[in-house]
Amino acid sequence: MTEAINYLKRDPRHYQIAYLGSFLTYGILALGWDTDLARYALVISTCIVAQLIATYFTTKRYNSVKSGMITALSLCLMLKVNNPITLVLACALAISSKFLIRLKGKHIFNPANFGIIVTVLITGDAWISPGQWGSAVFWVFLFGITGMFILFKVGRIDTSMAFLITYLGLEFAWGSLYLGWPYDHFLHKLTSGTLLLFTFFMITDPKTTPNATKGRVLWAAIIGFMAFFLAHWLDEASELVGLADWYNSKSIYLYSAPIWALFLIAPLTALLDRVFIGERFKWLST
Amino acid sequence: MKRKAFVYLLTFLLLCTNMNDVLAFCGFYVAKADAKLFNESSKVIICRDGDQTTITMSNDYQGEVEDFAMVVPVPVVLKESDIRVVDQMLFDRLDAYSAPRLVKYYDSNPCDRHYYDDMAEESAAAEEAPATEGAEAPGEEDPYKVTIEAKYTVGEYDILILSAEESSGLEKWLIDNGYKIPDGAEEVLAPYIKDKLKFFVVKVNVKEKKKAGFDTLRPLQIKFTSDKFMLPIRLGMANAKSDQDLVVFAFTRTGRVETANYRTVEIPSNINIPTNIEPKFGQFYVDLFKTAWEKEGKNACFVEYAWDISSTNYLKCDPCVGDPPNGHDLREAGASWLSGINDGQEGMQTANYQGNIFVTRLHIRYNRKTFPQDLTFQITPNTNNFQGRYIMQFPATGDLTCKEATSYLGQLTRRRRAEVKTLAELTGWDTADYEGYVNEYQSVAKKASRQYMLKVFLFAALFIGILIALFKMLGFQKTRI
Repeated sequence: MTEAINYLKRDPRHYQIAYLGSFLTYGILALGWDTDLARYALVISTCIVAQLIATYFTTKRYNSVKSGMITALSLCLMLKVNNPITLVLACALAISSKFLIRLKGKHIFNPANFGIIVTVLITGDAWISPGQWGSAVFWVFLFGITGMFILFKVGRIDTSMAFLITYLGLEFAWGSLYLGWPYDHFLHKLTSGTLLLFTFFMITDPKTTPNATKGRVLWAAIIGFMAFFLAHWLDEASELVGLADWYNSKSIYLYSAPIWALFLIAPLTALLDRVFIGERFKWLST
Repeated sequence: MKRKAFVYLLTFLLLCTNMNDVLAFCGFYVAKADAKLFNESSKVIICRDGDQTTITMSNDYQGEVEDFAMVVPVPVVLKESDIRVVDQMLFDRLDAYSAPRLVKYYDSNPCDRHYYDDMAEESAAAEEAPATEGAEAPGEEDPYKVTIEAKYTVGEYDILILSAEESSGLEKWLIDNGYKIPDGAEEVLAPYIKDKLKFFVVKVNVKEKKKAGFDTLRPLQIKFTSDKFMLPIRLGMANAKSDQDLVVFAFTRTGRVETANYRTVEIPSNINIPTNIEPKFGQFYVDLFKTAWEKEGKNACFVEYAWDISSTNYLKCDPCVGDPPNGHDLREAGASWLSGINDGQEGMQTANYQGNIFVTRLHIRYNRKTFPQDLTFQITPNTNNFQGRYIMQFPATGDLTCKEATSYLGQLTRRRRAEVKTLAELTGWDTADYEGYVNEYQSVAKKASRQYMLKVFLFAALFIGILIALFKMLGFQKTRI
């Protein structure tokens, strides 16, 4: 029995699965997401099958199905579609990106992030609903505390904090200091479940973040800046670059901006890994 | 003797025939609840295509026209061609079309095989409008640091577009010119000014109104280009204590509109409720909304209707409680991307326009405390249809004394109990008086089973009687029974 518990404790992915799973369960039971149960089953099974197939043809380390499960849960929590086939596509994109888009033996994109963004871009059938959680402050605590716990385990609190401080700092400076909105206007942003989920569970994927602490902090700060830029000035920039029409057809709003930012900045990881040397992350501490 | 037997047999056969009347009710009743169910509410139509936004604001102002005034922050100085007045009928039609509805079904009698379903609808909808205040007069600039960027007269309205440099100056200008701005408005004027928004300020031109000859003030429509898809509700929040209702009819090319910075939730729908709810349907929906809103922490936005009304979509509503918007309505509302608008026959299943278009009806009840930010919307590719639909399922009529009826009546009582429980959950009503409703068919069930037993007994008695008569006739007097 103790051996089993020790096994469970050794791999932080178990905790991630537990927490993401409980958020999903909460959504199903309390937020009315029970209508999507079949879709969740589809996502989970597709991701696991894709992961197993890909593992069979490559490393044959079937332990990695846990990562597939985490990707599946993230997709369930964040991606919404009309047609379920789009979900299958998203899963396929997510899992395959792990195996196909690699540099120096490390995959570049967070699989769930890649799956979400590329599906939104190419299908026109998918979207992110940042408001789906509601604004209960309760979320701040739930995500924050559980997230912190896991991050201690994987040593990636630095990434979350760097991102949060940069992004919220900019939002605060812009919204409350410059424009002069009252403080609850800013606080309302903190209660976005999507933002918190991103901060504690997406940007902190140890496999796709830079290896060294300094690299990670810089990387997270850049993402914070990019997210802020996308949310506020993309429209102007895209007109300059001539992307205006394309941009206007996508809805990149404040709360989903970080997800786009991560996608755009992910390739920078490889560069930062060369500049700041650090140890590559392994899931199981043997 | 044989003839007697024959008579007995015939009587027996006649008695066995099921002589239920066919009480199939093939009615189609449509009624609308009165339109004033929600107090203090405003109606807005928003059309969004790319970065083009058209906002139409309905106006149910009831006071003196000289006192009417409206202030709306807008992202640019609007051109005169971007401002127009539209017909109030547009709002009334959209409201009636998309309102939550009550439908009727009848159970089929388990004792016979009559089939049919019937539907009738009633819709409860309704809104009112905000009061708006102020008087008028064009202003000056310097002490207020307010510039009048443009000045137009459109329909019965005098319109000014202002830009300001500081919120206190703007506030003073508005007050000095008779625009009563609500308390707490200063805290939003500053961010709007800093964000370089202009102020669209409206009052009524009494002479023009007399010329136009309308009794009520007509809705105003503004059109502009903006990367932000939002509705500035903060300015309209009178004070922290009162809640205000807002109904938004959103038209987009691709799919449903939802709020990006608040939770968007579908109103509870497709639910069976007690069959005696009809006279109270308006109050039922008002309380249902209030309960749902409180359950969501008072800061969610509710979808009451969402439908794909593209020209290629066969069905514009199901059931239909009002005319779906036709091509003229849609163009009037700002859906400029539609083509082929003609005067052809517009019906539930045809369209006198061409193009993709989706309608979402959102109902938001907001106050200063639970909605610290203006509403930001996003267009999603979600094309699922949705409507607020409440079902009254009436029990079967006619003779319910057959064997199948007993299980049906048991089911009926259980169903009614569930309906009453749902009613209490949805509205918070005290359902103690509904016991009678729940048990109404218990007595019928008992009576039915009694009648059924009686029938069986009579049948048995008659059968035995006939047998005896037959035996007697055919000379089996000494048969051992």
